[in-house]
Amino acid sequence: MSIIGKIKKLLNRSSSDSYNNQIEDNVAVRVEHVSMEFKISKDKIDTLKEYVIRTIKRNKKEKEKIRILNDISFDVQKGDKLGILGFNGAGKSTLLKILAGIYEPTHGKITINGKVAPLLELSAGFDKNYTGKNNIYLNGAFLSMDKDFLDEKFDEIVEFSELGDFINYPVKNYSSGMRAKLGFSIATLIEPDILIVDEILSVGDIKFRKKSSEKINELMSEGVTVLLVSHSINQIRKICNKCIWIENGQIVMEGPSDEVCDAYVTNAEGDTKKKRRRK
Amino acid sequence: MFDTISEKKFLLKELVKKNLTSKYKDSVLGILWSFFNPLLTMLVFTAIFSMLFGHNIQNYPVYYLAGRLAFDFYNHGTKGAMNSIRKNAGLLKKIYVPKRMFAVSSICYEFVNFLISFAILFGVMIITGAPFHVTLIFTIIPIVFLVVLVFGVGLILAVCNTYFTDIGYLYNVFTLVLLYASAMFYPIEIVPAQVQILFTLNPVYCAMSCFRQCVYGTIPDISMLLYLGTFALTTLGIGLLLFHIYDKRLVLEL
Repeated sequence: MSIIGKIKKLLNRSSSDSYNNQIEDNVAVRVEHVSMEFKISKDKIDTLKEYVIRTIKRNKKEKEKIRILNDISFDVQKGDKLGILGFNGAGKSTLLKILAGIYEPTHGKITINGKVAPLLELSAGFDKNYTGKNNIYLNGAFLSMDKDFLDEKFDEIVEFSELGDFINYPVKNYSSGMRAKLGFSIATLIEPDILIVDEILSVGDIKFRKKSSEKINELMSEGVTVLLVSHSINQIRKICNKCIWIENGQIVMEGPSDEVCDAYVTNAEGDTKKKRRRK
Repeated sequence: MFDTISEKKFLLKELVKKNLTSKYKDSVLGILWSFFNPLLTMLVFTAIFSMLFGHNIQNYPVYYLAGRLAFDFYNHGTKGAMNSIRKNAGLLKKIYVPKRMFAVSSICYEFVNFLISFAILFGVMIITGAPFHVTLIFTIIPIVFLVVLVFGVGLILAVCNTYFTDIGYLYNVFTLVLLYASAMFYPIEIVPAQVQILFTLNPVYCAMSCFRQCVYGTIPDISMLLYLGTFALTTLGIGLLLFHIYDKRLVLEL
């Protein structure tokens, strides 16, 4: 009986899909009471023997739950450019990963209205033994593009990546800059409604950096909703019109980007001054 | 992301292609090994066992190959699916890809391999002068059930192996037991009658022997097929249920 109950509970949990589309049309992203917990234990039990023995002996250590995000709620209107501020370890990247669909939040709900393009890891999908050409298709597939679309855009990608003849060589022979250039050229191909960016990606040499930041600006300009994590306050001031500031998994402040940025900078400077005084 | 079927299909195709090219990447013969591997082991087994069982089995090479193809598909398919999530951990933690695609793609890849090695079976049948029976058409039935079974077991194992790595090691031993319990390279008649009943409970044995019956020109055993069918569908159900429940939490275990 208890097992059946458990299964029912689990089913309900996963069927209450965190992505459904019942929000107003002008809202692009709605985050409702999202919490994220990671189970961390100092001695991780990942063998069955240990698991069985410990269950019998009843000395399974309770797994420590670390709360990365704690009851976060916010709305992003369509066309808004939202900057996310916070010190290292505040939970910014975890939030972006949840928005990108990589993690499912432990509690809470996320509703997304439109096509999302996460620019998080650009060369994660590369197969080293594949040629650049094959990798365009493989990586495109990982980014949910189909063959016709890639066929059509193929020349554009090759041209933008500046790889020339190297496109026919295996990626394992590429320099890291070349790899980044190719990854960037593929990932920025989509025409998204919502763009999720973790640090503005300017990759490659000085020429390509200029080109890539232009491309990012172009992507951001056309009424696209942007969620941007960056440690460069100037960039956030320049690009974003709204900001949230996260600390220890909670929203400290929310509002127009200049206000939040000012408060954040003052706070950061205050912190360093305090530390100096203590010394 | 991945809303349309064409996107999913393209991803699946690319993943299967990736498996295919990465397996034989540094070998000279490449994909040809999919032919040579079963062929060479067939020669070894024929050399050894046709002396032992030759008088019991008519056309030992065909007998061996028919069993071997079915078993290899089961063995590699389930193991491929089992390891697929862990093998792609780096990718799954960085970008969103439906996890089941990895399990499904590795089974599809093994199925392609299975179809390729059919050429060997036909080749050997021609060389040894084995007759081609009409019943060969019926091989589709046990093959479909076998595919369903592999999907079911594969999905279950993929979830379990992500939570506990040693399911993998345990399963390696288990498939060895399964190999001997499937009468792949010896005739079932050498096993005592009471034990034979146990064999018929083994779905892989059922699939294999129905497959063989078709190749040898007899109508496959209906009761065996029914048992195999229900067993396969049940495991598929369990596998899909497990994957549905744990799908989104698998990443946290990697």
